[in-house]
Amino acid sequence: MAASTRTFREPSVLPGFGLTFGFTTFFLSVMVLLPLAALVLVAASMHWLDFWHVVASPRALGSYRLSFGASLLAASVNAVFGFIIAWTLTRYDFPGRKMVDALIDMPFALPTAVSGIALTTVFARNGWIGRYLEPLGVHVTYTWIGVTLALTLISMPFTVRAVQPALAEVQRDLEDAAETLGAGRFTVFRRIILPTVLPALLTGFTLSFARAVGEYGSVIFIAGNLPLKTEITPLLIVIHLEEFDYRGAAALGVVMLAISFVMLLAINLLQAWGRGRLLRRRS
Amino acid sequence: MAALPRLFGADAPRPGKHTWRHSLTRWLFIGISLTFLVAVLIAPLLTVFAMALAHGIGVWLHAFSDPDTLAAIRLTLLTAAVVVPLNTIFGLAAAWCIAKFEFRAKSMLITLIDLPLAVSPVVAGLVFVLLFGLNGWFGAWLQEHSISVIFALPGILLATMFVTFPYVARELIPLMQQLGNDEEEAAITLGAGGWLTFFRVTLPKIRWGLVYGVILCNARAMGEFGAVSVVSGHIRGLTNTMPLQIEILYNEYNFVGAFTVASLLTALAALTLLVKSGIDRAGYRRR
Amino acid sequence: MSITLDQVTKHYGGAPVVNDVSLDIGDGEFFVLLGPSGSGKSTLLRAIAGLTGIDHGRISLHGRDVTHVSARKRGVGLVFQNYALFRHMTVAENIEFALRVRRMRARRRRERRAELLRLVALEGMDERMPGQLSGGQQQRVAVARALAHKPEVLLLDEPFGALDAKIREELRRTIRQVQRELGITTVLVTHDQEEAFAMADRIGIMNLGRLLEVGAPHDLYTRPQTRFVATFLGAANLLLARRTADGIQAGAATLPTAERAAGEREHEVVAVVRPEEIELAPQRAQLTSGYLTQGMVDEVTFTGSLERLRVLPQSDSGGTLLADADGEARAMLHVTRSQYEQLGFAVQPGQTVAIGVRRLHVLPTPLSSFTACAADEAGAEALGRQPFLAELAARMKTRIALRVEPLWDSGAPARGADHGFVGITVLAAQPDGARHARWLLDRGATDVLLLPHEARAPQRVLIHWTQPSARAATLAAAASLLRHVAAEAVYLGIQPRRDDGAQPQGMRALLDARAEAQAAHGLDMRTELRVGDAAQELLRRLAEAPGQMLILGIGAAADCDGSLQPLLTGARWPVLLVRR
Repeated sequence: MAASTRTFREPSVLPGFGLTFGFTTFFLSVMVLLPLAALVLVAASMHWLDFWHVVASPRALGSYRLSFGASLLAASVNAVFGFIIAWTLTRYDFPGRKMVDALIDMPFALPTAVSGIALTTVFARNGWIGRYLEPLGVHVTYTWIGVTLALTLISMPFTVRAVQPALAEVQRDLEDAAETLGAGRFTVFRRIILPTVLPALLTGFTLSFARAVGEYGSVIFIAGNLPLKTEITPLLIVIHLEEFDYRGAAALGVVMLAISFVMLLAINLLQAWGRGRLLRRRS
Repeated sequence: MAALPRLFGADAPRPGKHTWRHSLTRWLFIGISLTFLVAVLIAPLLTVFAMALAHGIGVWLHAFSDPDTLAAIRLTLLTAAVVVPLNTIFGLAAAWCIAKFEFRAKSMLITLIDLPLAVSPVVAGLVFVLLFGLNGWFGAWLQEHSISVIFALPGILLATMFVTFPYVARELIPLMQQLGNDEEEAAITLGAGGWLTFFRVTLPKIRWGLVYGVILCNARAMGEFGAVSVVSGHIRGLTNTMPLQIEILYNEYNFVGAFTVASLLTALAALTLLVKSGIDRAGYRRR
Repeated sequence: MSITLDQVTKHYGGAPVVNDVSLDIGDGEFFVLLGPSGSGKSTLLRAIAGLTGIDHGRISLHGRDVTHVSARKRGVGLVFQNYALFRHMTVAENIEFALRVRRMRARRRRERRAELLRLVALEGMDERMPGQLSGGQQQRVAVARALAHKPEVLLLDEPFGALDAKIREELRRTIRQVQRELGITTVLVTHDQEEAFAMADRIGIMNLGRLLEVGAPHDLYTRPQTRFVATFLGAANLLLARRTADGIQAGAATLPTAERAAGEREHEVVAVVRPEEIELAPQRAQLTSGYLTQGMVDEVTFTGSLERLRVLPQSDSGGTLLADADGEARAMLHVTRSQYEQLGFAVQPGQTVAIGVRRLHVLPTPLSSFTACAADEAGAEALGRQPFLAELAARMKTRIALRVEPLWDSGAPARGADHGFVGITVLAAQPDGARHARWLLDRGATDVLLLPHEARAPQRVLIHWTQPSARAATLAAAASLLRHVAAEAVYLGIQPRRDDGAQPQGMRALLDARAEAQAAHGLDMRTELRVGDAAQELLRRLAEAPGQMLILGIGAAADCDGSLQPLLTGARWPVLLVRR
């Protein structure tokens, strides 16, 4: 037998590696890599001045501002409220807790178009909630607030579901131990709970942000879609497409794709950081 | 103190704990959580049904008699029927390959599988337009052979598949990693072959995770808006799926019609969650 | 033979986890593989089952070479640590799985299932789900399932790990009973020595991927051959004693031993004394056994049937020294006494007692202790702290003494007599290494370790001797060292270049050396035959890769000066010189 230990794959007694690996990579290449490569190549075929003209036009810049600003805001809102919800769900028992816990996943399963029209209706001038905000001078629909609200809804589960297991993992023993050592409640929170949950919270934040930046369906109903004011980047791509300006669409698509990659990279790094911290602590 | 009633499952008060302060923070947290959820999530959900049924159940039922709406429902069902099985097979293959074996580039493969989740649905639709659209790479060739992909069913299928294909795999990979290889190895030492081990040992073991992955994939496939909107062309009665039909009806100020279709999709989402929590509870009993 | 392993080796990421294991297990034997976690015992079991491929070697079951046969076709029954029952199948379906795979008729399956359930005392449990059974019952089902297809061998991987003590004992009895009834060859892996003693016909003890010793439980306990086995199987005190013409001299006691080899010079040995073989008395005169030394009781612990004591021996009484301080500042003798002994002589902490030894067992290892030797005190201390040396001493549970010698003072006459050099004398590898080694050898040192400052634990140990007379001693030293280092052993046989072609002599010597290493020391080593100048060939091999060490047997001290000098001068690799 060859003593080759540096092979592509560790030997295993289970069969089917070739079949499943082949199928997975084939399907992945055809369905994802090839189309994305097409996008990049189309954009690359543009003259760089044309490219720049599209991606740095005032309208594009305005859409970035809204897409990024609202997404950041939505992710921040979710970081705060998502943490509170995760804390409530893991630490407290109250009637209907199980149902609330199940409802958190709703935005995963709910079509974005449905959340879009529903939110618009609820926060419209005469809507259930909108009518109470109107006298306060808060206009939600057709403003950046509505965009943020829609993004908050669709990206909410990411933060809660990222933080929840981390919070559950903070052992009560650890907190009890800290308390017997004389730590107050706030100290326990700041020194024990927060550091443990931080990587998960950041991961949730990034996931929320990544999801929100690309969102289209729910936003277009509530946003009003005024150029420079309430027009998000994905909508701008659609507008280019409707004008049969494929290259312009591709140029903006590449910008969005680059953002996706950066987000994925950040998520992976954050998760590696979280795991690394855990390992270091264990060893 | 001793006479204080115990609130729902609250911990027995610890000595020296200011119990009033403890329950204050507790109810504050619960209050904030519920208020937020009601405003952002529960109120919109209820609106969907309130609007759909605003003029009574008769009008709600009547909305389905619109032939375009029926066509949209048919198209959506057809899309799910094609996309979900394909993505299920892909998910099973990817999970087996990733969870059962150690190989190089594994983490890269996982990242690539996750990629569609991070890509904007509009970009997902765009790439297929660039490939198969009139000015796309294969556009001329497709037109020569009079095959339409964009603004037709194949485009809708492709875009939906792109957006939903990670769901089954993502559900199965952690589950299979957590369950380990012991049972499969036991089956093999007892003389079972690869397919037999898969169907008799692995598949039953992961069946609930698979069910959830499939129904979630199904809900996303039926509800996909952005990607499909880009490739569909919005041809009434032909290339409109349910979410697109919602948009059209809504923009025509036919709110009852829009919310009627929306109520169907919302019910589907609720059913998906119901199955999930059922599985979670069954899962606890099993372990 | 039921199971035959021949030179089985398995690497993980370059490091051997199973290292050259050869073993024969007889028909119907209950064999226990015992070792600490990470010793490679589970990997070896999985290799026998076919769940892990091996890099080198052969595995046969009942004379059939199954090295390349898949787990499916090996016909073994394997019981997993966490049962690995199919959780979605009933007990009946679990047990019948192997029969169904083999397309056995339903009626015969039912009969076989009933038979097996009776065997593991689970009648009537057929339709239960595994989740409804207790841990002990689940493991019984796992045993029944593994036996269903009448495998030729039964393999058990820590089967009691997850069970509590009482159920564990019950299940042990069941498994032993089933095994006797069926007469099936069984291999059980465990880290629990009590379990091994209770169940095994023979035990094989593994550490660092090597199979160190194989034997009946009683033999291994009373006559271990290695430090690891002596200390892993029960508690043991390791003493540094001297073998003299009269017997073994430990402290003030001289005990006759049967196993004394005639004609050997007096030298240091390592002796094992079990805690129960130590006797305590108020005065030396009251001891019924050989007086070792005085000591002070440090701690007394009552454990029910036995009393455990830690006694600090007086250090200046006749040179008796405990080999190992066990990580503590002062080396303590561990003593256990029965109730009866306690009644005869009750002791308190702080009390001074006379210590006697009823029986001791001398380990055959030639490596007893280390003496770090340098020209000044600072040098000796630095050498004693060298990481590889410190690690080796810790693993061997022995100590490092410091000694100052004017190494380069060659003016001092070569006296050739014993200057009290015992064990292995360690020297820093310097440009003058060869001369220093010679100086020490001339003054009676037997084994000299030349240690470069930056040396780390080696991955490969090269073995060579220049004189056939050094063969036995070199092999013994190599075997002893390799029990504490996870490295592969390679014997280099080097033939001087001659013109007459083939050299059958060289090959014979090579095979003889392998056979002797295997038979006398349980050491499996690879062998390579080279032709050329010995020193040049060794140099070339050592220069190939870092992480190598050389064990070199020589005939006389003068050998250092000759052709071997380049090997020892400023060596970048550790060299252990063995002279007998």
